[in-house]
Amino acid sequence: MADSKEAEQVSTSESEQSDLIEPETCIHRENSMLLPAENFISIDYESFENYDCQPSGVIHEIVRSNSQDKSEETPDVVLSSSNDEFSAGEDKEERKQISAKELASALTEEDIEEDETRKPEWRAQKKHIFILSEAGKPIYSRHGSEDKLVTIMGVLQALVSFVHDSNKDNIRCIIAGDHKFVFYVRDPLILVCVSQGADSTQQLLLQLTYVYNQVLSVLTHKTLVSIFKQRRNYDLRRLLSGSEKFLDSLLSLIETDYSFLLGAVRCLPLDLQVRDMISQSIIQHARVKDLVFALILANNQLVTLVRMKKYYLHPVDLHLIINLVHASESFKAAESWTPICLPKFDSSGYLQAHISYLDESCQTCLLLLTVDRESFFTLSDCKNKIKERLLKYNGLNAIGDSLTKTSYSINQCGITDLRHFLYKSRSTAQYTSPEVEAPYLGTEEQERLFGLYQYLHHRIHTSARPLKILYHVGPHETLLGWITQGFELYAVFGPLVTKPSAIHSINKLLKWIKREEDRLFILNSVTF
Amino acid sequence: MGTKGATRLVSFFVFNSNYGPREGEEHKKILFYYPKEEDLDNKIKNIGLCEAIVKFAETFSDKPCQSMHTQKMRHLFLEPEKDFWAVMTVSIPFIEKQKEGQPYTEYQEEDVQDPVYEALLRQAYRMFQVCTSPVYEAILRQAYRLFQLFNGTFCHILAKTNNNVDVLKQRLDHFYSRYLQTLRVHQSDIIDIFSGIHFMPLDKNTYLRVQCFINLLEARFPYIKYTAFMYNDQLVWSGLEQDDMRIMYKYLTTSLFPSYQEQELQGTSSVSPARTTTAQAIHYGKFVTGPPDINDENTLGKIPRVFINSEVENEECFLLVYRAHNASVCMLINVANTMTFDLCRKLDGFLGPQLTQLASDIGEQYSKRVTTSGDPPYRYIYFNHMNLAQKTTVHTDNKKSSGIHIPPDTLRLLTDISADMSKSSEDGETIVKTFSDNWVVGKKSDQREFYVVINQKNANLIEINGNNYNIRMN
Repeated sequence: MADSKEAEQVSTSESEQSDLIEPETCIHRENSMLLPAENFISIDYESFENYDCQPSGVIHEIVRSNSQDKSEETPDVVLSSSNDEFSAGEDKEERKQISAKELASALTEEDIEEDETRKPEWRAQKKHIFILSEAGKPIYSRHGSEDKLVTIMGVLQALVSFVHDSNKDNIRCIIAGDHKFVFYVRDPLILVCVSQGADSTQQLLLQLTYVYNQVLSVLTHKTLVSIFKQRRNYDLRRLLSGSEKFLDSLLSLIETDYSFLLGAVRCLPLDLQVRDMISQSIIQHARVKDLVFALILANNQLVTLVRMKKYYLHPVDLHLIINLVHASESFKAAESWTPICLPKFDSSGYLQAHISYLDESCQTCLLLLTVDRESFFTLSDCKNKIKERLLKYNGLNAIGDSLTKTSYSINQCGITDLRHFLYKSRSTAQYTSPEVEAPYLGTEEQERLFGLYQYLHHRIHTSARPLKILYHVGPHETLLGWITQGFELYAVFGPLVTKPSAIHSINKLLKWIKREEDRLFILNSVTF
Repeated sequence: MGTKGATRLVSFFVFNSNYGPREGEEHKKILFYYPKEEDLDNKIKNIGLCEAIVKFAETFSDKPCQSMHTQKMRHLFLEPEKDFWAVMTVSIPFIEKQKEGQPYTEYQEEDVQDPVYEALLRQAYRMFQVCTSPVYEAILRQAYRLFQLFNGTFCHILAKTNNNVDVLKQRLDHFYSRYLQTLRVHQSDIIDIFSGIHFMPLDKNTYLRVQCFINLLEARFPYIKYTAFMYNDQLVWSGLEQDDMRIMYKYLTTSLFPSYQEQELQGTSSVSPARTTTAQAIHYGKFVTGPPDINDENTLGKIPRVFINSEVENEECFLLVYRAHNASVCMLINVANTMTFDLCRKLDGFLGPQLTQLASDIGEQYSKRVTTSGDPPYRYIYFNHMNLAQKTTVHTDNKKSSGIHIPPDTLRLLTDISADMSKSSEDGETIVKTFSDNWVVGKKSDQREFYVVINQKNANLIEINGNNYNIRMN
């Protein structure tokens, strides 16, 4: 505690600081009992239904087990002291009972008001995302400025609380033509998605949970809850300002990257020996106390992940890390020291991330995640050593080569008729897929392909009626989805393929993947 | 384990926001509300919520709001005529479970499928539009006399009654309070979406005899505008437009025939059926609607009026149904003609002997065919959008009263596949293997939809081929 000054100096010297909020409230230590081990969600993504649980205390556990002497309590989070915006009256305001009348009048007011919702281009957007507080205060809107969307946010809040108050029920979604309105109420936030795309309601709900987790990764669950406990009318935008770009980036990744749909991570194809060498470099040079995860990312793909024994990185958390790197240009300018909350790992506190690029072209990014807020210089040192070793053994070149080859072409699998596929290894939550090629090169065609996969995935994973195999012959392509204990495979063929030849191709493909497995996936997890 | 809650009808209401635009007048919006006992405040509140949802959806979508899902309920919306909204609410089935000693309720949201209930709601409206009842007719005859023939739609009723909303309300109430009781919400499935007709396959000779019989009937009694011939619940011949026949078929098979049969069984009107043993041969003909006893001139019985659109919009007709054995003849007579007892007697004289003979001949043919051989390895549902022909071996009978042969989840899967296919206008085929190792093939081609459920656990994808199941469609 005494030398927290140093940490502050470091963080102010980093350019990224403005993007993230309140770095000094990183880790909250509390006296709560440690959570049992099963609460740490393993890397297996299958248990998505558990998304509701918010693990907390992991960070505390690590800190305590490593430094018995530091077990004294730190004071609770102090909210930004500038509470001039609030009048006491607002705080005491009772939860309004919304009558149907008010609900309807809120809607008519909207017509009078000059607002965003009347603009045709706003209305025509494919997917809207709104975040608001339970009091109806706007927090985020993907399209248009929240300031001009006060009325619609009010209506959303009114709908949620009306349904809740009148029937002790919870609104889930509304369907109107091609539009789906999906509601996700996570105390103290309300998240709503309005989509006219191919996504199913379950897929939209999953996307909203990602958005929610993104908010947590900036604020932590604990802070979020305590803020609204103190002031129901708090304007959360003040704490989130600067982090909208992470939400924007996350939402566009969700629409183009199959990782989110599959709940899996894509690995950069590398020869086993090269990847081992890279992992060994990290283990050798980053064996530092309190370092929980060390990972290298290249173009949103995972190169390697080294973890503290006992702790796992959940794919959802990894996606948030990937998004953090993806959305920030500033990491390219200098080594950064940034707090990040990984909601599946510990939603109550921050990990401290040391983020740096290892190569000149800024493609290979090293992340060192620790619970020690004062270890910037130690980790910076580790980074230099890792970089040195990777240069010496051509690790960076290998990564660069793999990146320039832009994954692999479907031709490499040697299978005719097959246009594209996604293969997910279920036990490792990793997936592989070839480059998108003709006829899916245009943006519109790519969106359509994405829609096809969404359809396949949705129909197969409908929770009440799950399927093992789905074979669909449509006008433009033939689709095959196949789920087994070990893998999920989604394949797209030309429309004229026959069933026996499609099955033959799939068997061939599975053999090819088996042969290339070492290169395409990280099969054994490496620990410190 | 634990208690279960099945899907049930929670509420059904019809409203028009224009009728109570001012504060304090909200109750005027309500045209019909089931359950009636619901407290007025709640009625107003629920309608208010629906109005809000509909308006909110309009902010984004040009298409009208279809449904709202909540944890416990499903609301279905239909705007059959401008500004008139019909809303149906069904409950989500649930199971009470125990988890770590704590009771909790698991709602099975995915068991309630929108397309099925949208179909029910549409049908509820169409039924209202077509049917009026004799009882009701009596009550309101006076009012009608003042105006021209009234029409089936909400708007036409209003137009013809000088915007008398009370008349509309009475009609809605009269129709729906009975109709909703016949609605088997928890048993609804893909068949309700198709809402097709079961045709009776006959050999050429018999079919021609039926046609001859109908032609003779229509020639001899020219005021019979349209005729339909049914055997049991299957249609043999119809002179009505398809859409009219579809709803008429629904009305006959789900409402008129069952209640008639019930009456017969109770034997209340058992004046040993109109068995005229005069000079004519013995026959078993009897009016289903019309004079209950052909020897009793005092009562003409109940003759329903229906609205059909076959030749002109909203043509009002008497529906006279005559039956012998299992064969029924449905005759539609424009209301411009007056129904007299004499006419009925003449009809009886003509129909009785002929229909009795025809019915027993068809019956002979029918009983020969009904020789099912054990448990087939597959079950199917077939529907043709062109002629509304429908066939199912998934259900134990065509009325789906007694049960289904496949797991309920698999039946719901058929709805899923059908909904997926309806999104595209093009033909396609879907083959799936469920977690319980059933195979389901869904095929849409040339306006026909066809689903086969195959219970063959060790089959592989190559062996499963929709074309192999050459099911005789007759």
